[in-house]
Amino acid sequence: MKKDRFYRRLFEIIPGLLTWTTLGGLFILAFIKPLWVAIFVITFDLYWVIRMTYLSILLVFAYQRLSKERTKDWLALCRSLPKTDGLEFKDIYHAVLFPAYKEGADVLVPSIEALENTNYPKDRMIVILSVEERAGDEAWKNAERLKRQYEKSFWQFIITRHPDGLPGEVKVKGANATWGAKALKDFLDRSKIDYEHVIISCFDADTCADKEYFGCLTYHYMTNHDRTRSSYQPIPVYNNNIWHARTVGRILELGSSFMQMIETMRQEKFVTFSSHSMSFKTLVEVGYWPVNMISDDSAIYWKCFIHFNGHYSVIPIYVTVSMDVATEKKILPTIIKQYKQKRRWAWGVENFPYVAVSFMHNKKIPLITKIRRLLNILENHYTWAVWAVIITFIAPLPLIFGGWIFRQTAIGYNLPSVSAALFNMSFFTMFICMFISIKLLPARPADVKPQKRLVMYTQWLLAPIVVAFLGSTPAIDAQTRLMLGRYMHFHVTEKKRHKPGEKYLRSQP
Amino acid sequence: MAGGDEMRKIDRIMRAIAFYLCVALFFILLPIILSYALGYQIDYRNLRLYKTGILYVESVPAGATIYLSGRRLPDVTPAQIEELKPGIYKVEVRRDGFYPWEKEIVIRPNMVTRADRIVLFPIKQEMRVINENGISDFFVSDNGYIYYMKRSGLFRSNMDGTSLKRLSSYSNWPSGIIGRKFSSDGRRILYYTSSTVCIIYLYPEKTFSRPEGKVKIEEVLTTSDPIINAFWYPGSNYIIVITEKEIEVVEIGTSVMNNKVTLYKFNSKPGNVYYDHSNNSLYFIDTKIGADSSQPNYLYRLDLAQKTFDSILQRLLKKEPDTAYEKR
Repeated sequence: MKKDRFYRRLFEIIPGLLTWTTLGGLFILAFIKPLWVAIFVITFDLYWVIRMTYLSILLVFAYQRLSKERTKDWLALCRSLPKTDGLEFKDIYHAVLFPAYKEGADVLVPSIEALENTNYPKDRMIVILSVEERAGDEAWKNAERLKRQYEKSFWQFIITRHPDGLPGEVKVKGANATWGAKALKDFLDRSKIDYEHVIISCFDADTCADKEYFGCLTYHYMTNHDRTRSSYQPIPVYNNNIWHARTVGRILELGSSFMQMIETMRQEKFVTFSSHSMSFKTLVEVGYWPVNMISDDSAIYWKCFIHFNGHYSVIPIYVTVSMDVATEKKILPTIIKQYKQKRRWAWGVENFPYVAVSFMHNKKIPLITKIRRLLNILENHYTWAVWAVIITFIAPLPLIFGGWIFRQTAIGYNLPSVSAALFNMSFFTMFICMFISIKLLPARPADVKPQKRLVMYTQWLLAPIVVAFLGSTPAIDAQTRLMLGRYMHFHVTEKKRHKPGEKYLRSQP
Repeated sequence: MAGGDEMRKIDRIMRAIAFYLCVALFFILLPIILSYALGYQIDYRNLRLYKTGILYVESVPAGATIYLSGRRLPDVTPAQIEELKPGIYKVEVRRDGFYPWEKEIVIRPNMVTRADRIVLFPIKQEMRVINENGISDFFVSDNGYIYYMKRSGLFRSNMDGTSLKRLSSYSNWPSGIIGRKFSSDGRRILYYTSSTVCIIYLYPEKTFSRPEGKVKIEEVLTTSDPIINAFWYPGSNYIIVITEKEIEVVEIGTSVMNNKVTLYKFNSKPGNVYYDHSNNSLYFIDTKIGADSSQPNYLYRLDLAQKTFDSILQRLLKKEPDTAYEKR
């Protein structure tokens, strides 16, 4: 155990150390070896442009797939499926779990109504609303009101109250989700329903599922022979309040959506994110979500991956689930909110020590797989933390600190023009983002002026500025905290719903 | 899951193609971009790299034609000429109506040579008369006025000669003015010949005798020792006068008699004298008679700052130090 703690601490330090060594090293080298930094900057700029081009190609592929698959009648396809591996369409139940904190009816009602509006038979749908005890009586009364209002719409509407301070738990969403899943297990045990027949979807309180979501999910579940060795990941979009959100929030959340779409094309690296689904049998077998980790969405994947000795994957399902853009009425609070949310996502770096130590104990996963997967996690978080800083702030340093002689060299003279030329090439990526964002945009609400559509096109011009300041800093913050052992607590991103006539808040979908 | 597997297989193939194309693109573009940035040129025939330099030419006015060792370049200034083999080049910058500029410039490997402070002077200079009729001297102030000493009085105009205005009818201007200096507040002009020091009060305070505050010209010092230089002491009420024999400080603005103190007597005629306004110090060379009757030159610094000047002031006012300080 002592050895484990040592290795865990060591792996906690590595990402932050790597990031700070890179940034600090480049900063120092800009004084003493500006030529080296200039060569590095040009190489990195080119690498980044080509990487962005490659990712844009994947984004286009993913978008094509999404456009094609979201229009299918999945329910009809499910009904046409023969009995496979002893499983029939009529056997499949869907359990949708909402772990909630203080989210009110204004947030939860649209999410529940979105479930009501899906085309999946409601007599095989169970809704579990698990509220935190520490959220107070109001939250519980709210849950009771919702149960009274919607229990007839679904086969079951279970509400439960997650007690505070259970042994081994910290205040994270995963602990509440686990409590809700255990309540579901009790119900399924009483009803004598096979766990393999139940697909559980763990949704954020603001998640609104697409009409075809459960049909598409069922189809993929039934046709997958490794159905209990897979998680199912929809495409998260942030359409709930996109027309009313601040530009900075829209750009960052659209960027996250696009990254998820891209990840669907890189399945060997694909990890669950945010709202996702899996077999309830699998969830029970692995012992539910981690109750002491903030990034429960990705941690559950790694828990399964290790539990099943690497025989676990994430299947992308090309239907959308829509969530809220983290936004406020004013720009500065929006930036702060976005920063905190992205820092929580970047705290996913906590998976690196968890996975590394778990891999050390697991002798069945091939070494090459372990190395590749660990390097994937490390590379993702490392790149996230350094890229925007290198492109924006490190790039001009050789010219600033390199001195007169460096500025007289050809590379000192050419560095700004070469960097600018490479930067201009990234506009190609921006056009693709602009095009796809417009295609994914929901219908304009009645209270939004038509001119706002122009903003939706031009907002991408602000992307370089937004990215310069919010691209890497949350990741550096998260990695530094982990490196120093100053562990983060779960910070709930406050969700607010639109009130008619109010600007910059969401409209009801 | 057959359909899904097939799609994933297609995805993998498409992705692999895109990936390897991007990797290839990176390794093709990287040496080209880096060699360009570093100032190298690729010799595709012999497949080798050679070093080049860059010449940057900028002129005022812009748009001049550049000739490099006699060869006319398509670019006009400002221009960046790249891929030059290291060596000496004769650079000419020409523009119609201007004198040409030419220079031999060394192009060094992997370096930028800048010829960016080129000023082309027009062949036809524009010259015109600003003022006429018996001007004996003129001063130019920092705030954009020309002051004329004319037989008919003291005049002032804008820098282009317009808005001419007579300030005073005084016409007894001395000949042989050596120097002219505006006071730091720009309200007075000091001018001197080899024997006299005069002040022009451009904005004199109103007095009973001069209720309208008209321009006043006053002779403050006449000396038999030839005057070498004169300076304003900060505050504009004192003048430091350097003659061939001594350094004197003269108080001005006293209507009856100007106070005068000799600060230093030279052993020999001083050469250069410099007044450092920021520190109120005078620098000068003087001889010092040694024990062996040799006369080596020394560079002196005379501090006229607060303490030194307090004592001078006391001597001028012939008051006790504390009282004098309080009055100031």
